[in-house]
This record gives sequence, C-alpha cells and structure tokens, in this order.
Amino acid sequence: MRVMAFTSRNIKELLRDPISYVFCLGLPIVMLIVMTLINDSIPVVPGTPKIFNIEKLTPAMTVFALTFIMLFACIRVSGDRSSAFLTRLYASPMKSGDYIMGYTLPFGIIALFQIIITYTSGEIIALINSKSFDIINALLSVPLLFPSMVLFIGIGIIFGTILNANAAPGVCSAVITATAILGGIWMDIDTMGGAWKTVCGCLPFYHSVKYARFALEGNFTDMLNPLLICSAFAALIFVIAVLVFSMKMKSDKR
Amino acid sequence: MKTAIKINDLTKKFGNKIAVDKINLEIYEGELFGLLGINGAGKTTTIRMLTGLSAVTDGEAEILGHSIKTDMQEIKPLINVSTQETAVAGNLTVRENLELIANIYGMNKSDIKGSIGEIVTSLELDEVISQRAKTLSGGWQRRLSIAMALITSPKIIFLDEPTLGLDVIARRELWKVLENLKGKITIILTTHYLEEAEALCDRIAVMAKGKIKALGTAKELKKSADKDSIEDAFVEIVGGGV
Repeated sequence: MRVMAFTSRNIKELLRDPISYVFCLGLPIVMLIVMTLINDSIPVVPGTPKIFNIEKLTPAMTVFALTFIMLFACIRVSGDRSSAFLTRLYASPMKSGDYIMGYTLPFGIIALFQIIITYTSGEIIALINSKSFDIINALLSVPLLFPSMVLFIGIGIIFGTILNANAAPGVCSAVITATAILGGIWMDIDTMGGAWKTVCGCLPFYHSVKYARFALEGNFTDMLNPLLICSAFAALIFVIAVLVFSMKMKSDKR
Repeated sequence: MKTAIKINDLTKKFGNKIAVDKINLEIYEGELFGLLGINGAGKTTTIRMLTGLSAVTDGEAEILGHSIKTDMQEIKPLINVSTQETAVAGNLTVRENLELIANIYGMNKSDIKGSIGEIVTSLELDEVISQRAKTLSGGWQRRLSIAMALITSPKIIFLDEPTLGLDVIARRELWKVLENLKGKITIILTTHYLEEAEALCDRIAVMAKGKIKALGTAKELKKSADKDSIEDAFVEIVGGGV
C-alpha cells in the first residue's frame, strides 16, 4: 500500500513534468533519426560496415536513453531530499525499503515504455530504409534490458541520495557522457582494443550495450557473458543504492 | 486527564552544543500545547525528537504510552506532523496530496473519501481541491500541509511554526482552524508569535537555550513574571528583561 502510494506519486510527478517527455521519450527518437541521417550521408567504403547502422544503433540508443531515466531518478530523489516533503514522509510509517521501491518502480515503468518506444522507432526507421529487425528478438530484448534498467535507476538513486539538488544533475551528465564514450554507443570498442577496451570492460556500460546488440541480433550465446556481467553490476549498484539511502536516512536523523 | 506525552530529561546534543537540555513535560490528551521561544531555543529539535525525525541523545519520552526510543514504528501511525517548511508534493493536486498521505498511513478507500470530505470542509479547501499544490499561494500551501497532517486522524498532531511567513489574514484563518480542533486531538504547536500562543494555547512552555524556563497558561505566565502583557512576560522569562 505504502509503496504503491509513493510509486503513484512519483509517476504523477514525472508525467506532469514536460521536460521528462523531451528527455526520456523524445530525445532517443530524435537521436535515432539524426544518426540514421548521418549514416546515410557517409560514403560507402567497400568492406567497411557503416558505424550508425540502425540494427547496431537502436539497442545502443535504448541503453543510452536509460541514462536519462537515471538523470530523472537522481533529480527526483535529490529534489525530495532538499524539500520538507521527505521530512514529512520520514515521520510517517514508511520504511527505507518503501522509499527504494517507490523510487525504483515508477522509473522502471517509464523505462519500460521508453525501451518499447525506442525499439518501435528503430523498427520504423529500419523499415523506411528497407531493413527490418527480427520481431521475436526485438520482443525478447525488452525484458532482457531489465538489468540495465536496474543499473541506471540504481545509479540515479545513489547520486540523488548523496548529492544535493544543485550538484546531482551535473554529476549525472558526466555519467551520461561516460556511458556514451565508454559504452560504445557511437563506436565499436571491440575494434579499438588496447587499454581503452580494458577500461571500458571494467565498467558496466560497455557490457550493457554489447548484450543489447547481441540480443537484437538473436546471438544469445555471445550475449550471455556481457548479460551476466551487467546483471552483476546492476545487483551490486542496487544493493549500494539501498545501503546508501538507508544510511542517509539514519544520518538525517542525527 | 490522561497523559498524551510524557517527557523525562529529554536531551539533544549536536557535538558539544546542547540543543535541548534535560526537559521534562507532561502534555494531556486534547490539549493545545504551545512551545514558545526565540529562534534556536530548541522547539523544533524537541518536535523532531518526538516525531522520530531526530535521534534522542539522552532522556526519554513516551507518546501514548510508547517509548520514542524503542517503539517509534508503533507511534508513527498515531501521530502526524506539519513541518516548519511547507511539505507538499508540488505536481500533485490538493486532493492527490491528501490521498497520498492517507494511503501511506494505510487508510482504506471509504475512510479516505470520508476523511477528505471532512478535512476539505473544515479547512475550506473546496475551491482549490483540484489545483496543483505548486500553484497555490503560501497560505493555501500551509493550509494543505496542515490538512495532510490531519487527514490520518492522528491522536497527536505536531505543528511546527504553522503560521510562519503568513500574512495577517491567512494567519487568523489558520487560528480559526486550530481553534476548531481544540479538544478533539492533542496539538503541539511551536511558535515565536506571542499573541498566537496566548490566543490559542491551553498551556505554554517557554523555551530558551534548550531549557524550559516557564510552564503554565498565558495568564499564569504573566502573573509569575509580574507583567501585564505576554510579550513583557516572555522577555522577563527568557532573561532579556528590559
């Protein structure tokens, strides 16, 4: 009951903020269109695949779009903490688990819609370009992105808990940039190799993008390893989010 | 009279600074009790300890027979609080804010509907019921904040500076609301508006430097300080006699 009430409030707060539509739903679609147009403008080099191919771009953009969910989760948590609203709730029978679930569920629901819309947009763009995704693979990709969803919402809750409302968006922007560069959204990190690939491999973003691409290809054998790594990161981040939020709740009461 | 709150040597320290210094109080059910003091006297810290928002350094307090140190989870459904800052969800309407708090406190659907009807009528929130909280004026937001504290039918309500920053009209309207609640529930009100405490409170505790300097009705405080006005009595009690 408490979780559902708090979840409902957070969904309403998010849906009534027009900026969230622009960032969470509009931007991924615009990026897909822009990158496809850029891809079409790049001259064909025989034997070299184009870098922004829609089959590669759509899953990567879906993961990238989750960073905006992280941003909004972070803004919501830090905003609540800086207002007296959370103080009121601290005096209510709500427990730390209720807050975590109440923040995670609404952003999870929005993320789910975001994933579906991004894949649908990718499919439409693919069809316009006389290509198509395997529908079964695309459908399977949606639940398979659950670990990435948890990962980014968890990061958002952590930053929203430890940072104030002014600092939180700035730090999240750094994570968004890091995801784009270190996750291989715009480039194929596997072809780069070296120290750069090692650095990327130590972070969850690269694995998240990699398994999303394998999932859409239907290459479930190669998908397993990055999926497991990303799931481990997601579980770790979520546990840290719960601990950090609980500790902050306690320290606020000192 | 039954005791609603019993405070024994309640103390709060922030490092070496003593914010609340071994206060002792007994507040009765149905009483409108005022905590009066200048800024930094320890009023808000006392409220924060009693509502579980701040840990107790030393001493003890019982709310309706439950210890604030060990039984806070049992106490929470029985009390509610309206904090010094307006605590509303800005993008939710007035009705949604009330429903949110009612649901968090586990009220059932039919009770919520009835309670909202009662609260909206008694606090005259009808005209703004469908308005988003962030579009309301400060006075209306404060009124909503109090309504959110009352919606759960608490046995004890803590109102921390409920009229702070309100204009005279809005403040008088809130006084009317509080007067209507008198006797029905126990109200702990902190304020530094002397006339407010005198007009509303059954008894007043005057706090200064974390201690309770005087306790009684407004009349008793004036008599003990040998002053005709509550303002002069207050100045005398807190040690700033002129």
